[in-house]
Amino acid sequence: MSRVVAVHSFRGGTGKSNTTANVAVMAARRGLRVGVVDTDIQSPGIHVLFGIDQATIGRTLNDHLWGRCAITEAAVDVTAGLDPTLEGRVFLVPSSIDAGDIARVMHDGYDVALLHEGIRTLVDELRLDLLLLDTHPGLNEETLLSIAVSDTVVVVLRPDQQDYEGTSVTVSVARRLQVPHMLLVVNKTPAVFDHADVEERVRAAYDCEVAAVLPHSDDLMAYSSQGVFSLSRPDHPVAAMYDALAARIVG
Amino acid sequence: MSDPPAQLIVVDDDPINRRLLASYLEREGHAVATANDGRAGWELVRSRPFDVVLLDVLMPEMDGYQVLERIRGDEDLRHLPVIMISSVEDMQSVVRCIELGADDYLPKPFNPVLLRARIAAGLSRKRLHDLEREYLEQVEHVVTAASAVEAGTFAPDALDGVAGRDDALGTLARVFSHMAAEVQARERALKRQVQELRIEIDRTRADRQVEEITGTDAFRDLQRRAAELRSR
Repeated sequence: MSRVVAVHSFRGGTGKSNTTANVAVMAARRGLRVGVVDTDIQSPGIHVLFGIDQATIGRTLNDHLWGRCAITEAAVDVTAGLDPTLEGRVFLVPSSIDAGDIARVMHDGYDVALLHEGIRTLVDELRLDLLLLDTHPGLNEETLLSIAVSDTVVVVLRPDQQDYEGTSVTVSVARRLQVPHMLLVVNKTPAVFDHADVEERVRAAYDCEVAAVLPHSDDLMAYSSQGVFSLSRPDHPVAAMYDALAARIVG
Repeated sequence: MSDPPAQLIVVDDDPINRRLLASYLEREGHAVATANDGRAGWELVRSRPFDVVLLDVLMPEMDGYQVLERIRGDEDLRHLPVIMISSVEDMQSVVRCIELGADDYLPKPFNPVLLRARIAAGLSRKRLHDLEREYLEQVEHVVTAASAVEAGTFAPDALDGVAGRDDALGTLARVFSHMAAEVQARERALKRQVQELRIEIDRTRADRQVEEITGTDAFRDLQRRAAELRSR
C-alpha cells in the first residue's frame, strides 16, 4: 500500500529536508520505490541533496500546477546519481528555483485538487510505495494543502522551547484536517539529553507517537548540503536511525 | 637549600675496607649504609632506595657477581648504578663485571680522587634516570587523565602533581586541567538543563493561532475538499 507522507516543521532549521532525503534513501535501500516532491515552493532546496542543480532542473512542480505539463514529466529518477546499487528507486519532483516562478505561485496560489491529482498520478504511474512531500515551514496555505492531501504527517522539531508551541499548533491543525496518521521526529537532540526521557515527554505533551529522537551530530552538520548523509556514511549510527525511521514511516 | 645527601651502600666482607670506605664517603657528605656479605647487601638493596652501590667482588654467602646479576635482573633495581670495588685486578674479572652490567670498576686500595669522580658520575646517571622515570610517570598521569575525561570520571585535582612542573609538561597539565574543568562545568550545566527540560506550551496563545488558521473560510473549504478527496 502506497503512502503519502508530508514532512513538516513549524520553524525552519529543524533539519526537515535532510530528514526527508535520508528517509527517502533508506526506504530505497529497503527496495522501495520512493518519490519526493519539493512542495516548499517558496524556498525550494531539497534538490541540492539529491545532486540536482539549477542547470539540470527541467520541468518542475510549478509547471504541473500551472497546467504546463503532466507531473510525471517533472519527475527525475535520481537513483543512479545517488547510488546505482540501490535496490529501490528515488524520484524527485523539484520546485522551480526561478524567482519569477516563486513570486507567481506566491501571488496566485494553486488548486488543491491539482496537487492531489498530481500526487495520485505520481503514485500510480511511477508505482511508488512511498511519496514524501517536503513542505515549507510554518502553516501557510500551500503547506496546509500538502498536509491536507497526505496520509501521514511527520512533524520535525528540535527539543527547544520555541519549537514546542509551533509544533502544538501544527498538531492541532493537522488533526482538524483529519490526517489519518501523525508522527513526531525530535531532531538535533544534544547528546547530554536522555533520549528516552525526551521521547516520553514529547509523546505526553502532544499525545502523539514519537517516531524518532535523532541526535545532534557534528558529522551530519559538517556534511549537510553535500548530499545524503546516510549514503555517504552508511555505517554511522545516525544512518541506522534514519533507517529505523524509514521503517517506522513505511509501517 | 642544598640537596639531601646521596644514599650509598658499601657491601664488603672486609671490616677494615668497609669502615675505611664508609667513613671516607661520609666525610664526602653522603649517607652510607654497610653490609658485610653479598646476601646482606642484596637484602638491604631490596629493602630501601639507594643512589649508588659499591660492591666487593669476592665475598662469602653471595659474591659480588651474584649480587650484581640479581640487581640487573630486578625490574625496579636494574638502573641502579653499581661500582665494583675489589683487590682482584685481573682483566677477566673486570670484563665479567662489565658484561654483567657494572657501571664501573675500581681497584683496592681505592684512589680517593678516582672514587669521587666515579661516585659523582654514578649519582648523575641515577638522577637522570630518576628524572626520566618521573617524567614518564607524569606523562602517564596525563594520559590516564585524558581517558578519565573521556569516561567522565576526571577528578579536578588529578593532575596537581604534574601541573606544578615548570616545564612544557607542567604547562600541558595546567592547560589540560583547566580545559577539563571547563568541559565538566559545561556538561553539568547542560545536565541541569536536561533535568529542567519542560515542554511548556502557552495553550491560550497556541489555541489562538490555531483559531486564526482554522477559523477562515479558506480553511473550511480546504477541510471540506480534503475530506472529499480522501473519500474518493
